[in-house]
Amino acid sequence: MDETFDCIIVGGGVAGLSAAMTLARADAKFLLVERGAWSGSKNVSGGVLWGRDLDRLVPNYWEDPEAGYERFVNHRRLTFMDEGAALTIDFKSDHFNETPYSGVTVLRSRFDAWLAGKVEEAIAASAHPDDSFLATDVLVRELIIEDGRVVGIRAGEDEFRAHCVILAEGVNNLLTRQAGLQTEYVPADGLAVGVKEVIRFDKKVLEDRFQLSEGSGLTNEFVGFATGGIEGGGFLYTNRESVSIGLVISMADLRKKGGPDAGITPYSLLTAFKQHPAVADQIRGGETLEYSAKAVSTGDMSIMPREVYGDGVMLAGEAANLVLNAGRAIQGMDYAMRSGILAAETAVEATKAGDHSKTFLAHYRTALDASYVMQDLRGFQQAVKVLHSPAMFEGVPRIACDFGREFFTVDNKPTRKAYQILRDVRKRHMGFWDLVKLGTRAGRAL
Amino acid sequence: MRFCVCVKQVPDVTAPIQISGGQLSYDAGRVVLNAYDASAVEAALVLTAEHGGEVDVVLVGPERAAETVRKALAMGADRGTHLVADGELDSAAVSSLLAAVASGYDVILTGKQAQDSDAGLAGGMLAERLGLPYVTNAVGLAQEGDAIVVTRLGDAGQETIALPTPCLVTCSNDMNDPRIPNLKGIMAAKRKTIDTRPATDVPAARVTTLGYEPLPTRAAGRRLDGEPAAQAAEVVRLLADEASVL
Amino acid sequence: MSTVLSYVAAPEGVPTRASLEVLTRARQLAEAGGHRVAAVVLSTDAAASADVLGRYGAATVYAVSDAAFAEPLNAPAVQALADVMARADAALVLFPSTEGVKDLLGALAIRTDAAVLPDVVEVDWVDGGVGALRPVMASKFMARVRAEGSPVLVSMRAGSVEASEAPVEPTVENVSLSLDASAATLREIAGAAAGMVDLADARIVVAAGRGVKDAAAKALVEELAEVLGAAIGASRAVVETGVFPATAQIGQTGKVVSPDLYIGVGISGAIQHVAGMVGSRTIVAINQNADAPIFDVATYGIVGDLYSVVPALIAEIKKHKAG
Ligand SMILES: Cc1cc2nc3c(=O)[nH]c(=O)nc-3n(C[C@H](O)[C@H](O)[C@H](O)COP(=O)(O)OP(=O)(O)OC[C@H]3O[C@@H](n4cnc5c(N)ncnc54)[C@H](O)[C@@H]3O)c2cc1C
Ligand SMILES: Cc1cc2nc3c(=O)[nH]c(=O)nc-3n(C[C@H](O)[C@H](O)[C@H](O)COP(=O)(O)OP(=O)(O)OC[C@H]3O[C@@H](n4cnc5c(N)ncnc54)[C@H](O)[C@@H]3O)c2cc1C
Ligand SMILES: Nc1ncnc2c1ncn2[C@@H]1O[C@H](COP(=O)(O)O)[C@@H](O)[C@H]1O
Repeated sequence: MDETFDCIIVGGGVAGLSAAMTLARADAKFLLVERGAWSGSKNVSGGVLWGRDLDRLVPNYWEDPEAGYERFVNHRRLTFMDEGAALTIDFKSDHFNETPYSGVTVLRSRFDAWLAGKVEEAIAASAHPDDSFLATDVLVRELIIEDGRVVGIRAGEDEFRAHCVILAEGVNNLLTRQAGLQTEYVPADGLAVGVKEVIRFDKKVLEDRFQLSEGSGLTNEFVGFATGGIEGGGFLYTNRESVSIGLVISMADLRKKGGPDAGITPYSLLTAFKQHPAVADQIRGGETLEYSAKAVSTGDMSIMPREVYGDGVMLAGEAANLVLNAGRAIQGMDYAMRSGILAAETAVEATKAGDHSKTFLAHYRTALDASYVMQDLRGFQQAVKVLHSPAMFEGVPRIACDFGREFFTVDNKPTRKAYQILRDVRKRHMGFWDLVKLGTRAGRAL
Repeated sequence: MRFCVCVKQVPDVTAPIQISGGQLSYDAGRVVLNAYDASAVEAALVLTAEHGGEVDVVLVGPERAAETVRKALAMGADRGTHLVADGELDSAAVSSLLAAVASGYDVILTGKQAQDSDAGLAGGMLAERLGLPYVTNAVGLAQEGDAIVVTRLGDAGQETIALPTPCLVTCSNDMNDPRIPNLKGIMAAKRKTIDTRPATDVPAARVTTLGYEPLPTRAAGRRLDGEPAAQAAEVVRLLADEASVL
Repeated sequence: MSTVLSYVAAPEGVPTRASLEVLTRARQLAEAGGHRVAAVVLSTDAAASADVLGRYGAATVYAVSDAAFAEPLNAPAVQALADVMARADAALVLFPSTEGVKDLLGALAIRTDAAVLPDVVEVDWVDGGVGALRPVMASKFMARVRAEGSPVLVSMRAGSVEASEAPVEPTVENVSLSLDASAATLREIAGAAAGMVDLADARIVVAAGRGVKDAAAKALVEELAEVLGAAIGASRAVVETGVFPATAQIGQTGKVVSPDLYIGVGISGAIQHVAGMVGSRTIVAINQNADAPIFDVATYGIVGDLYSVVPALIAEIKKHKAG
């Protein structure tokens, strides 16, 4: 056999598998290497896959009863919380029931394994069923770089060569740094830590408690006391027979205000979050199945790699820091999917052209720029800053909760008008001008 | 020598597994090559690397268990047979299906037990069906001419037993550390043949599983605080007065 | 009338505790099902334990004496048991779940065309069949199982029932067999030290894990076992390193123990270890890591350094025994 692959993909997460599917469909000879014992075993995502690219990869996936997603999202909540109260905005629409769905919840251990199975099917149906591979339980130690050009990988004793390499290795992007595309040290400001638990419920209990119908699901984001005064946010997503609940916490802020010495760790914050009255009632009686923690980018473009391509190499997904955490949702898997597809399409074109130089692979950058991924990321840079300001995660939730407390309290006193309450509440927590400034900044940004 | 290793796909016992409606449920992806069988494959590979020979593997299980056969091939086994059968089969039924495939080898290796059923029966059953001498719970395996010398862990200690071939040995994971397939192995495995066919003449099971239950709940435990001396005094008091075991 | 037969392991002529538990259950099931109860002993001098077996209710003792049973080979045992089962018209055979029994159960089931339920913690007649409860998945769950037809072979985990006496005058049937020459030959047995309390039969077990790092810690564990009259068990971690013998391993791969008291010293409580001790009546865990999973199953948890906790414990136990 010819030992040189058209492409080697490092990492079998969403980005890597999306690239692999695209290559298999294009009859490319490729090798995907994943260090986990199975695809998905190392993945921690909280889990909503937004957008419709999954339908491109696995057409009509919702018709498969074994499909790897959990529920489609037709019900969304945003909750502001302080220490003892919560005010929730609730939105539900049947419009979201139509296929292809615009968002599905996933548990990565199941989703990635399913998607990997679909890629295997695509390989089997391709022109080179015996020459493309998904290899798990193998760690890529380093890239083979010759004359500044990436020409292959080293794993254990083995060396493999390819015309190009797609790095889809996720947030711990060691190989990306070896390729010289990222600086050695990523500042902590650009990173958050995500912690997550999966809590199991009887299906009936789950559907009753969250008013779900067969297949439909709810997402709930939380701001404010969710993270105990440390910058960040919380989430709760419903799966088939469980909920994923977790926090995304700013590493820089955690280091400043928390740390093990102060007795504040991501885990202790998650425990406090779960005990908050607004959350505790929702997860009562469930059985915790898994706990996990992982770094995640905040979506700040200033820490994006210098470039997402080089000679013989492209970056996809979180390896390229393609994540947006702008309060209304965390987006990373959808960007991983699209960027994986685009990188693979570029690889296929490069093989046709017989040119895997930096100049040719720049097409990937062009395609990415033209896609919603970069448009989103650029467009939301301002929002990222606003949402990561103390006013947003401290002031606004307090105002919301105080307002709620007073507005919804019925006692034997003269009833006050809502705007009077709001005025008093606002005085307590924030200057008027602060609020106006925040409002206009947020308005422009979102 | 020609080795036949029986391998089973089992749920990963370290992954989350729940009971719903009396049945076990777990993520379809969280299945593995039975750890004891992995040791058996490793043992066969080590012996054939040293003395020559070949290693075949055989598995009875659903279609998706093909990946487990592939895993054994990636470790280095030469050929695989996959008898496709869905649903629960007891060890007696499995051994009967295995007997049809595993005859004619010099050495048959199985795991000492399947990590899911924890039964530990299929090996002895298969040996009896094929009329072979056998040893269970092997922690060491060597080849001496035409004989296999097995060290097994018995009730009282380590027993060393010589078996003429053909014979069968059931393997403990204390025998070795199974290799993790490398990239070359994984790629080579794809080109090895797996003889896949439906299991026929599946015997009726005489043992059925009616359902699964959680373990009986233990009373919530108690943490003993204080300095070691205080902890020790308290635990001795509790063991004597509360638990009545001293 | 058919028989409920109880297999007795009697090293050096003394039935093990687990064997007497099994005989007790066999007696109860024989009564409930209208069967005879009998015991079978394979030994170089099998009749030696007949008196004890009578005390626990064995109306008949099939004593198969043969020099072959001096060696722990499975072929003669399978042959002898198949013969006794036919002779006794056995409907149900109960075994203690020892390594020796695990070695012969599968082959015996095929030889005698029996259904088999291995390693159970409960067994009873259920609607014309035999029902049992058995730990599965590294003892994470129980499976309720059922066997049809006759005979049925069942092996029981030690400690599943309390042995109780019900004296009868046993009839001893000496069975002599012409055993086929065994194809397997025993080369040697590297035995456990004499005088040690047998792990599976022990009322108290002290088990050591990776936390027991050096000779000093090992000496502490041995002293603790001695003052308690306990058997010493171990986790795989310290068996692998050769600090404790392989026969001491407790767990899914190793032995299953269910003593009245288990004390785990420097053991984290991996699922495969817990599989072998979760049936213990009282569990004490000593570990310096408060998050160690062993504390999830411990009756009493001591978070602390074994080097200071174990000596204190030894002193307290001595004090308790003295006063
Ligand atoms: C708590 C949390 C909640 C989140 N919630 C959401 C959400 O709701 N929606 C959303 O869209 N996104 C969410 N994200 C972000 C999302 O998980 C990531 O953006 C996404 O997983 C990125 O996909 P990827 O394929 O680039 O990387 P990953 O999914 O991280 O995959 C990378 C893979 O590469 C493998 N790998 C790494 N190095 C090597 C190597 N050297 N050799 C071999 N293999 C290697 C890894 O094992 C891994 O499987 C969340 C993240 C966290 C932490
Ligand atoms: C198929 C399979 C079968 C297996 N079968 C078995 C089996 O039968 N039996 C078995 O035991 N294992 C078995 N294992 C291995 C098992 O998974 C664990 O690796 C093993 O049990 C760990 O042993 P340990 O608890 O001693 O070591 P560790 O997990 O390393 O724990 C050591 C503990 O000691 C504590 N410690 C350290 N120093 C001190 C101190 N000074 N004072 C107090 N505490 C201290 C630490 O906090 C730690 O919790 C099996 C594994 C597999 C895959
Ligand atoms: N379905 C199966 N396919 C192939 N081998 C099996 C299967 N089931 C059991 N075995 C073999 O028999 C051994 C003992 O299994 P068990 O009797 O189920 O504990 C396993 O370790 C395997 O080697």
